[in-house]
Amino acid sequence: MLIQANALTQAMNENDWLFPAAECVHIASFALAIGTIALADLSLLGVGLRRNVAAQITRSTSLWTLTGLVLIIFTGFMLFASDPDMYLRNSSFRFKITALVLAIVFNYTIHRKVALSEGSGMLTKLVAVISLALWISVVFGGLFIAFV
Amino acid sequence: MPIVASFARWLETRDWAMDFAGSAYFYPIVLATHLTCIAIFGGMILITNLRLLGWVLRSQSISDVVRRLRPWKWGGLVLMVTCGVLLAGSEAGKYYGNPYFWTKLTLLALLIVHSLVFRRSVYQNTAELDRAAVIPSRAKLAAALSLILWISVVVAGRMIGYYEGPTSLAGPASAAEALGR
Repeated sequence: MLIQANALTQAMNENDWLFPAAECVHIASFALAIGTIALADLSLLGVGLRRNVAAQITRSTSLWTLTGLVLIIFTGFMLFASDPDMYLRNSSFRFKITALVLAIVFNYTIHRKVALSEGSGMLTKLVAVISLALWISVVFGGLFIAFV
Repeated sequence: MPIVASFARWLETRDWAMDFAGSAYFYPIVLATHLTCIAIFGGMILITNLRLLGWVLRSQSISDVVRRLRPWKWGGLVLMVTCGVLLAGSEAGKYYGNPYFWTKLTLLALLIVHSLVFRRSVYQNTAELDRAAVIPSRAKLAAALSLILWISVVVAGRMIGYYEGPTSLAGPASAAEALGR
């Protein structure tokens, strides 16, 4: 894994367009992955699409969400590989990855259960708010990597 | 717009606003908000387009998707443009000479044209689109073009940060400076 990472590190640093290209795919994939999850969250909060369609949104978009997450993680790894030491030492990066892991686990466990059960009430709304907060934290954490 | 001007003047009297605007956190917080808008409101634009292509949320009518997300997308646009203006304003000297910045603005202008071109046949015509046995190709064309334009906006936007040429309003001191960077 270390040997592969070194070859990728070289590619990411020597090639002028590879890093920006990975970044652009990374950012565009936010809309796909986070956007679909956010739409379900808004529905659980009773806004956006109709109130009780969170289950349908989740089922209909689940492959798109997964594709988005795969793209994000794949390109994210490429970006990380360009300078692993720097990223590991960066507090915002560590925050971001923590938030990301929590967000992904939350999304495919509690969030999925609540969204598919078509529930309502305070607990459902709390789950939606937590989901949004986690994903927004990931985005903020990612951006601040360059500013800490 | 007088109301915006008087709001801006009022903000200038607030310590907390002026402290924030002058702080090092201003740019990253505004930019992170801009990115979050890409995630949430860009997501809505993406999903609307995918629905017009018939690829997602087929249990929801096109009318429902377009109509119910419309106020959110407008609100998101206002927030995004506000962030954009703040970002560009805080780096005005640098953005002025940046070709990626002007490319992005051009693409946004093209998106305005797009919304006008397809207004009557698609966006104000969703009931008709739902009645059709197959989604009309004009609607799919509108969706495809919208996707291409918006993805280009995201790319151009990211590339703004990579431009390293002469950017000051004064321009390069000589051709040599312009070429030899």
